[in-house]
Amino acid sequence: MQMATEQLAGDVTKVVFDGRFDIAGADAVDLKMNVIAGSKKFVLIDMQKVSFLGSMGLRTIVSAARTIKSRGGKMAVFGPDEEVEKVLTMSGVTAMVPIHHDIQTAIASLQ
Amino acid sequence: MLQREMEQSMTVDGVNRTSETELTLRSQISDLARVPPWIEHLGLQYSLPSSTTFAMDLCLEEVLSNIIRHGYAGKTDRPIVIRYEPVQEKFFVLVIDDEAPQFNPLAAEEVNVEETLDGTRVGGLGIHLLRQFAASLKYEPTPAGNRLIIGFSAAG
Repeated sequence: MQMATEQLAGDVTKVVFDGRFDIAGADAVDLKMNVIAGSKKFVLIDMQKVSFLGSMGLRTIVSAARTIKSRGGKMAVFGPDEEVEKVLTMSGVTAMVPIHHDIQTAIASLQ
Repeated sequence: MLQREMEQSMTVDGVNRTSETELTLRSQISDLARVPPWIEHLGLQYSLPSSTTFAMDLCLEEVLSNIIRHGYAGKTDRPIVIRYEPVQEKFFVLVIDDEAPQFNPLAAEEVNVEETLDGTRVGGLGIHLLRQFAASLKYEPTPAGNRLIIGFSAAG
């Protein structure tokens, strides 16, 4: 699992994940994601290149969302494929982290 | 019996070999990396829908990690055998055998997703996803340990 960050206008931090968000994938990005969740207020998770999402990947996302929310911030997910979106929806994560398929709408949802 | 099967599946070069429809793992998280390529091969060989291979991948990650972490509780050399069975009455089937102490994962209480996400309850998402993505689930205790039979819709 690869992870890259990009600073966007409006104090939005885009986090781009690339690969499998399985146990090994979550292990690879957990620490870096904790740092972002503890320091950034508006975070957009770009999941266009995530091919798999399991419960450990969900935990990484939920944990970060919880931290960001507790600091008065917001998090949103952008661009998951159909199966990854099904995992997010069936796990109930979308109640905490909305999913968008349009990048401008996703960014606007954080403002 | 599973231990013998695992030993037989190891070749002289020390690498786990498997028949096309059967995969034998050791009880260590790093061995989970062997599962996705095996499922991908099954998908190509049997023309499985991508939604089915995704569901198989997800269910196996949750079930196998549970067996390794909780069933075998840190023992890293125990066997887990996964067998694929082509369509049976509208289902593709995966059969997972282990030699861990008997435990029925299907008897676990259904997770309260809201409590899990709020952080007031730890764990439970894995079995929740298993129930959501499998078309059928059946548990059988065996003389050696446990058997879980997971069905996936052939309709995709």
